Amino acid sequence: MKFLLALVAMIAPITAQASNNVSLTSSVFVEKAVKQPDGKTRLVLEEPRTVVPGDKLVFVLAYKNQGAKPATDFVVTNPLPGAVAFQGAGDNAAVVSADGGKSWGPLAALKVRKADGSVRSAYPEDVTHVRWAMKTPIPVGAAGKLSFRGVVR
Amino acid sequence: MMIRTMKLLAGASCIAVSALGATAAFAAGTDAGSTISNTATVSFTVGGVAQPNVSNTPTVFTVDRKVVFRVDETAPIATTTVAPGQTAAVTTFTVSNTSNATMDFGLAVTQQVGGAGAHSNTDNFDVTTPTIYADTNANGTYEPLIDTTVLTFLDEVLEDTSRTVFVVANIPAGRATGDVAAVTLTGQARLGGVAATQGAIATNTVGANTAGVDTVLADTAYDALNTASDGFGVAKDDYTVSAAALTVTKTNRIIEDPINTIASGNAANAKLIPGATIEYCIIVANAAGGGIATGVSISDPVPSTLSITAGSVRINGTATAGVCNADGVAGGSIAGQTVSSGTLNNVAAGGNVTMYFRATIN
Repeated sequence: MKFLLALVAMIAPITAQASNNVSLTSSVFVEKAVKQPDGKTRLVLEEPRTVVPGDKLVFVLAYKNQGAKPATDFVVTNPLPGAVAFQGAGDNAAVVSADGGKSWGPLAALKVRKADGSVRSAYPEDVTHVRWAMKTPIPVGAAGKLSFRGVVR
Repeated sequence: MMIRTMKLLAGASCIAVSALGATAAFAAGTDAGSTISNTATVSFTVGGVAQPNVSNTPTVFTVDRKVVFRVDETAPIATTTVAPGQTAAVTTFTVSNTSNATMDFGLAVTQQVGGAGAHSNTDNFDVTTPTIYADTNANGTYEPLIDTTVLTFLDEVLEDTSRTVFVVANIPAGRATGDVAAVTLTGQARLGGVAATQGAIATNTVGANTAGVDTVLADTAYDALNTASDGFGVAKDDYTVSAAALTVTKTNRIIEDPINTIASGNAANAKLIPGATIEYCIIVANAAGGGIATGVSISDPVPSTLSITAGSVRINGTATAGVCNADGVAGGSIAGQTVSSGTLNNVAAGGNVTMYFRATIN
């Protein structure tokens, strides 16, 4: 991650046509219930230390337009790691795919073909990809974060 | 950033709940040691010209070992009814591994000293030589000729599988109906991976995450015997004695004598004079609330002043109010002055069985 940042910093000032004028970093957090001194439990996000099945993960993607011109048609695609079951994206702008990226839409609109050929509605754990397509260009120097949640299968 | 993401959690919480049920098939979950790597890609255009995609450096972490298991009494959940002196009395337990790794489980059986048993009863004695046996053919039933392997640990229990084990013990003679001996089976999580060898005790990895596979003890306090995240699974079962308590009563009545009955035809006035016929009634009764008495036999040496009437022995009859009913069947045997019943019918708790025969006074 540090390496990527350094690379972006070097290239960014050169030209808008340079390939890496957009930076993208990914980080992952584990949601843990921590008992507070007052006896209540609070959900906190921490770096993945011990991670076991059933742990809830939050993936955060941070992007920034390092270039000299606005970036348009800005689409971020994140295939889900095989061992992670999708649990929802943090905003309504995300679309998902349940067939390896062939078709996209809100989860409620997606169908999955069962082994016997019949079709059922897709469940969150059927999701294979999550995608954000920005409607507006990303201005020069603008940055943002996208996140989605998953659970370790 | 922390705060921002926290807000997102609340919005997604309902989704998480619905997904839990749907993913129940993955009880064990992703295997310990698997890596989870996440890479996203950005496509975009600048000034109408498509630019090369940009991907992030993958974030990678290793899935750790989540130890989840339990030890339970195998259904039906009930005490094991035993007889005093019974050998190889069996209680059955199940060890279920829902960890995301193959595990070994160290096994130990302990006896309780007093206190509540497993089934609303109270421990008051110990069985002898309680021993843990493997269910060699995995049919859930203890078979002494097949299930001969004594266990100190369960070897290589795969994810999402369970094993049956038997605690086999002997019951001391002389215990009374209602006596209870409770036994406790304790399983301790140990690391699997090497067949035929008991792995190291599974303990929580202390401190920071390591690059390798860490261990998280996640066994639950699924009942009062168990403590969460201690690496132990505990279950209790018990033996309850059901003894047969037999009592024998013997009565006699005069049937006839040569003068008053045979000569005068007045049975009611028969007297115990030489030549008179007497009927002996022997009743074996089993007290209510105990076990079935099997293999009951009666042997009655008759005084030499009596002559046993050949062919008069009736067995397996019933009695009413301490008197034999005339409902037995011919049987038994006479040898010299002794009448023997042979093996009589089983006597249920609260039931009885009779033998009766006739003799004449010499």
